[in-house]
Amino acid sequence: MAKIILNNQEVETREGIPVLQAALEAGLNVPHYCYHPGLSVVASCRLCLMEMKMPHPKTGELGWAPKLMPSCQTPVRDGMEVRFDSDKVHENQERCMEFFLLNHPLDCPVCDQAGECHLQDYSYHFGKSESRMVDQKHVTPKKDVGPRTLLYSDRCVMCSRCVRFCDEVAGTGELCITNRGSKAEIDAFPGKPLANPMQGNVVDICPVGCLLDKDFLFQQRVWFLKSADSICTGCSTGCSIRIDQNEDHVHRLKPRFNPRVNQWWMCDEGRFGFKYIHDKNRLTRLKLRRGESFESLRWESLAETVRYRFEDVAKKQSDKKIAVVLSPFMACEEAWLLVKTIREVAPEATLVLGPVPTVEQDERFPVGATNGDTKFIIRKEKCPNRNGIELIIKHFGGNTETFDAFVEQAGAGEFAAAWISGGYPTEWVSKDFAKAAGKIPFKVVHDLFGSALTDEATLVIPACSFAERDGTFVNATGVVQPFARAIKPPQGCKRDGQFFYELAELEGLYQSPTVLGMMAAEIDEFKEVYVPPQLPEHQH
Amino acid sequence: MAWKAIDRVNAPAEESPSLSEPLKEKIRGFFDRYPTKRAVLIPALHMIQDDHGYVGWKAMEEVAELLEITPSDVFDTVSFYSHFWTHPKGEKVVMACRSISCDLLGADRVLDECKKVLGIGDHETTPDGKYSLMTEECLAACDHGPCLMINEKMHKCVDPANVRKILEDDANDKLDIPRSNLYDGANRTSA
Repeated sequence: MAKIILNNQEVETREGIPVLQAALEAGLNVPHYCYHPGLSVVASCRLCLMEMKMPHPKTGELGWAPKLMPSCQTPVRDGMEVRFDSDKVHENQERCMEFFLLNHPLDCPVCDQAGECHLQDYSYHFGKSESRMVDQKHVTPKKDVGPRTLLYSDRCVMCSRCVRFCDEVAGTGELCITNRGSKAEIDAFPGKPLANPMQGNVVDICPVGCLLDKDFLFQQRVWFLKSADSICTGCSTGCSIRIDQNEDHVHRLKPRFNPRVNQWWMCDEGRFGFKYIHDKNRLTRLKLRRGESFESLRWESLAETVRYRFEDVAKKQSDKKIAVVLSPFMACEEAWLLVKTIREVAPEATLVLGPVPTVEQDERFPVGATNGDTKFIIRKEKCPNRNGIELIIKHFGGNTETFDAFVEQAGAGEFAAAWISGGYPTEWVSKDFAKAAGKIPFKVVHDLFGSALTDEATLVIPACSFAERDGTFVNATGVVQPFARAIKPPQGCKRDGQFFYELAELEGLYQSPTVLGMMAAEIDEFKEVYVPPQLPEHQH
Repeated sequence: MAWKAIDRVNAPAEESPSLSEPLKEKIRGFFDRYPTKRAVLIPALHMIQDDHGYVGWKAMEEVAELLEITPSDVFDTVSFYSHFWTHPKGEKVVMACRSISCDLLGADRVLDECKKVLGIGDHETTPDGKYSLMTEECLAACDHGPCLMINEKMHKCVDPANVRKILEDDANDKLDIPRSNLYDGANRTSA
């Protein structure tokens, strides 16, 4: 710990961190472009300059140094005195803003960044309303720097965050600064575009509207977007994300700062992998088989139907088994409520963890990083909650099976009934599984998309995507993280947590913290839930 | 895209020369002079420019591979230094000073005469590929303005009337003192 005097007030902070970081953490709005806590410090934007007390070279007396110092590059030392509220500092900020806006095209009305742009904010807070520039503006071209990203050089402030990100975090170094001085531009080598699996982050860290996402380009004005804090379901890393939606349509995912999991970043696979949420082919009808065809079932009668049917099977066919297949895409709460319900009516029910989609290996960043210097991992397990479901299966104990063993036994006709939860964004029902499942007479299939399984099911329950649900995931490193819902489920669907809640014969509305509380009373691992700290208000 | 944007996704359409094996070998010969391969970049670029006349996209990519850095790093460095050419230039580059001392002594008339004689504008190359014309900020001979530099040979106190004579002289870029062979000794070691 260190105590510094910041704007005449004593502030407690940590020794060695940049003064800028300390000031931001103390709630000060210090303008900055090039400083990002996840990247190296270059002190090139000159916006965060501060006044600092230094000993006089001759007398040794402490006084304000005549020159301004970059606060991002000055580490905190106990007892130091700095200020950001002097005329000198304000004058510098005003001058810098004037320079940043010299060649700015002022095309905010057609710029995607407008509304969350730090040129706008800083110009408003620290700049002047008029430009004294009388000459022709230097116009730099737009560049198609990558398959997913556009670069508007004319809006660039040359903070070089994107270049440092590619060099230091992604480790691929596609971006560079070409030319020099007032002609400097961000560029990529032709034919070697910005295409690394983490490249979407350059759009997030760009403080202005220079780097833009082609996927989000001209889709929404950002002030129409409403956000919810969620967890990415792309892999078992479980990055903290923000879902930005308007009118129940998800427009983009952005990473949220989480020091224990993803820091400031997320990968493209997760960032752009949400499109299935709005797939036209999603199941949206709760339906029950009557002979050869299906008929709609009212959600109100679901609990009764499920309980009655499972109880019936459990009583009448005691020589055959009942299975519950839990998907690693389910939230812990949902799985817990489901298992609780089924075990109530059929205490011998076998618990099975559904297939875990896996690719060959983890991807580590920077590219080629080993354990020690890894900054980000895209994990090989492409589901968010295997650990959580395993915890729940372990807690309930009793009969459990691996998925392969379940498929084998089902193929041999050992199961009389099964609840099968899916919720995978891609096709997951293998031919073997479909064939084996055909031998189970009574099947409840709870899934996002239709498959061979839903065609043969007795009861089909439409599932909700992660953006429509709330609950808790346990990531690959065992961090228990809650996620919130962002949008309403499509018409015809009911939020999974809610119908599981009703299935468990609990009264009222499903609130994930309530259910989590009940789980925590039984399972120690759920006692500690990790919610990442908020970034300081003015940090970006 | 509906509007104009520079394409960086696809490889450049224009052809540019590759590094020859002897040139590569010459660049490799510099590796042991520096602590890292990256540090060989500037000498390598000089050698490429001496050989090809400019540093093209293909050469940048190949030198990046040779030095184990990214092509964008090479592009960054090449474009930083204005004396590295990224497009073909003429055999001889005529640089006319346009800074204040030369200007006061009539540099504008010298430049106009150059344009007239060569039939090209600023930063252009003659159709026969012999001359490129460009302006420079200062050639560091303010006391002898107006100055003209042809490749590495300096012409001082140039009279606009003499420009034609200078440009028509085949030996107008011949140096009085030969250039150092710093980049010519392929396998010279630091010892």
